[in-house]
Amino acid sequence: MRRNFFCTRSVLFILVAVLLVLAALPLMGLPGYRLRLLSLVFMWVALSGCWNLMSGYTGYIDFGPVAYFGVGSYCTSLLMIKGGFPFFLSILLSGSVCALLALAIGTPTLKLRGAYFAIATFAAAEAMKQIILEWDHMVGFEFFGGAHGLTLPLPPSNEFFYYTLLFFMGLVLGLTALLERSKFGYGLRAIHEAEPAAELAGVPTLTLKVRAYILSSSLIGCIGGVEAYWLTYIIPDDVFNVLRTIQMVVMTLLGGMGTLLGPVIGATFLTLISEFLGAKFIYNYLIFLGIIVVAIIILMPRGIMGAVQRNKGWPP
Amino acid sequence: MAPLSILQCRRLTKRFGALVAVRELSLSLGEGEILGLIGPNGSGKTTFFNVVMGVYPPEEGEIFLRNESLIGKQPHEICHLGIAKTSQIVQPFLGMSVFENVLVAALYGADLSLAQARDEVEEVLDLMGLFSWRDAPAGKLTVSGRRRLELAKALATGAEILLLDETMAGLNPRELEEGLELLRKIRDRGATLILVEHIMRAVMGISDRVIVLNYGVKIAEGTPQEVTENPEVVEAYLGKRHAGNRPN
Amino acid sequence: MLLFLQSFINGLLLGGIYAACSAGFSLAFGVMGVVNLSHGDFVMLGAFITYWLFVLLGMDPFLTLPFTLLALFFLGLLLQRLVINRVIGAPPIMSYLLTFGLHLVLSNLALRAWTADYRTVTPSYSGLNLNLFGLVLPYSRLATFALAMALILGLYLFLYRTESGRAIQATAQDREMARLMGVNIFKVYTLTFALAAAITGLAGSLISNTFVIYPQMGLPFTITAFCVVVLGGMGYIPGTLWGGLILGMVESLATTYLTAGISLALTFFLLLVMLIFRPAGIAGKGIME
Repeated sequence: MRRNFFCTRSVLFILVAVLLVLAALPLMGLPGYRLRLLSLVFMWVALSGCWNLMSGYTGYIDFGPVAYFGVGSYCTSLLMIKGGFPFFLSILLSGSVCALLALAIGTPTLKLRGAYFAIATFAAAEAMKQIILEWDHMVGFEFFGGAHGLTLPLPPSNEFFYYTLLFFMGLVLGLTALLERSKFGYGLRAIHEAEPAAELAGVPTLTLKVRAYILSSSLIGCIGGVEAYWLTYIIPDDVFNVLRTIQMVVMTLLGGMGTLLGPVIGATFLTLISEFLGAKFIYNYLIFLGIIVVAIIILMPRGIMGAVQRNKGWPP
Repeated sequence: MAPLSILQCRRLTKRFGALVAVRELSLSLGEGEILGLIGPNGSGKTTFFNVVMGVYPPEEGEIFLRNESLIGKQPHEICHLGIAKTSQIVQPFLGMSVFENVLVAALYGADLSLAQARDEVEEVLDLMGLFSWRDAPAGKLTVSGRRRLELAKALATGAEILLLDETMAGLNPRELEEGLELLRKIRDRGATLILVEHIMRAVMGISDRVIVLNYGVKIAEGTPQEVTENPEVVEAYLGKRHAGNRPN
Repeated sequence: MLLFLQSFINGLLLGGIYAACSAGFSLAFGVMGVVNLSHGDFVMLGAFITYWLFVLLGMDPFLTLPFTLLALFFLGLLLQRLVINRVIGAPPIMSYLLTFGLHLVLSNLALRAWTADYRTVTPSYSGLNLNLFGLVLPYSRLATFALAMALILGLYLFLYRTESGRAIQATAQDREMARLMGVNIFKVYTLTFALAAAITGLAGSLISNTFVIYPQMGLPFTITAFCVVVLGGMGYIPGTLWGGLILGMVESLATTYLTAGISLALTFFLLLVMLIFRPAGIAGKGIME
């Protein structure tokens, strides 16, 4: 039987090697700015990797992942501030809350065709933001802090977040690598390719879709919690900002949906670009992103990795 | 001795708005038999298959697989219970290789582990003559190749009842013979088949029994010989004028 | 009691607007299978055209309608030819991603050109109200409602009484059959999208005297349009009427009795409830597959 070079074991091996190299970098003396930049790249690779887990493999476009980012941020913040919980436990709990939320939102919406899921998730994210903004005012009880947001206790060093985000990046990429050649992965891809045919072949489509959504969303929630602690100050407009969704989508789309390296390429590229463009004229950046999306759909729908893989060719 | 009846439909009715696609269809499928299902276009054959597979819920009637009711079950559940269907308009998983296409069916339909599934897929591909194409992207197959892939997937689910919707369409005589041989082999492996075909020679040559539908209603049932001599059948296909002749 | 009635009437007036704003979305989806995520931006553009004509030329908002109609019609035509056409027939995910990209471009170009400032259109008569049994009914709102109803009626008549309209419907129901009957599918799609853009832009003009105008206003309208269309049934034009009215009333009542800021949250819950219990719309006539 032909051995595929990119079999799971060798991929995981390469991944671990790269992670170890990255882990060693701070120990070799990395300036603060580069440390932060790398941490940011790790975060975005992780976030788009999560988005890819769901949308890239099933083909059901999630337009509301930022909902979970925000929920995770708030959960972690509240647990740490009001509950005095330690950081990692808060992250874990936040992820669980997001999982439950994803179950609630995913189950009714994933039963229907993709358009419904796409817009329902779009609406969910906006709705979540509004709820957090208005809750205190509506209920008359200081909890979420409304538009003022929440302030967290002082965090440890930048190195702490470097390693935490490196961990999450590794986790997401590792899960993706495992998924790619697993039964679960084949099921998701079958759903993407031809859902009715997949059903007839015995694939429990709804169950798998919901599972992927829960996985993706809970991890996004965890990362949201990490960022909250990193920034020490969260406001709804920031943690529920649709720009995060846009970036996750475009990064994965550019790199190639449904591939392991797609999010890595897309996220690294766009994070570096946005850093250099600066936050000054955000709308230029967004116009740029919009044009990228339109161009990719028309010219290169499978993204960079897709274009690369297409040329693998057959017959050998 | 009559074969054990494994699939039973009683007064099955499926409506799409005002259109009655299948009207009070009752049939019984015996274990190990090849049942031909024929009828003019639009007579409800494909709809019948879709109802059995749970794609559409019927308005009235019952379907039993051995003693288990299929009404209200999802297609993937019905697949697990042992029925698989090929579609008239084949839908391969285009972005995946031929091997991976069949692998999905073996993993999920037959509920095998990855290792077991891989073995099963190789066996099925061999049987279907697709082994040399195993790494090809499914999109590169010819029409007849895609049909064989569709059949391979249905086989790989491990289903005991196969509903085959026009798998022989568009084949030349040699391919047709090979196809029929294949079906016989599949039956000998232990499957029970319901065949929907327009190519009379194919259906009549291989079926143990034939059921004829017209406008969703069963108008004849019997051996191929009995059915071709039935004037109502001839009329359905060729119109009243030809009711005295036999179709070939 | 009076408060309730006022809220209810406000809701109806709002609902009419929502219906008019959503009809284009339903049309594009029903006929072309395109989920247009830049839909709300057509509302925004329509509103801005009216604004600039009002501010720069002193034109009465209601007189700007023909300009908006034409401008958006051509924009829709252009977009369809250049861009949308390429994803018809492709897997639906391409159309959401593509129109999502369009949304980014349109809304941010507007932001760049016109800044994020909020604007309003306040013609001389904007403060005049009809006072009826203690209810306050601004004339401009009443006129807007009437025009919104006229728009929907006009669309309905076009689709059901003209030949082009019936060609559009035929294409929506069965593309292959329509093609066989001699319908030029490409022309139908172009007309449909241009029409959808035009009536949406028109609706945008209509709302200019009711809503605050700003470049990012498109997104909430896209979400609203989707909710309206889910309520009424995707692809079923008459359904957008009651879908809009229901949503308008729910929002109005919520604003009165709860708080103004959660309109989107409410829309989302309504949407979720509909998707769970009646995804084919209240009348069950939506396109599901």
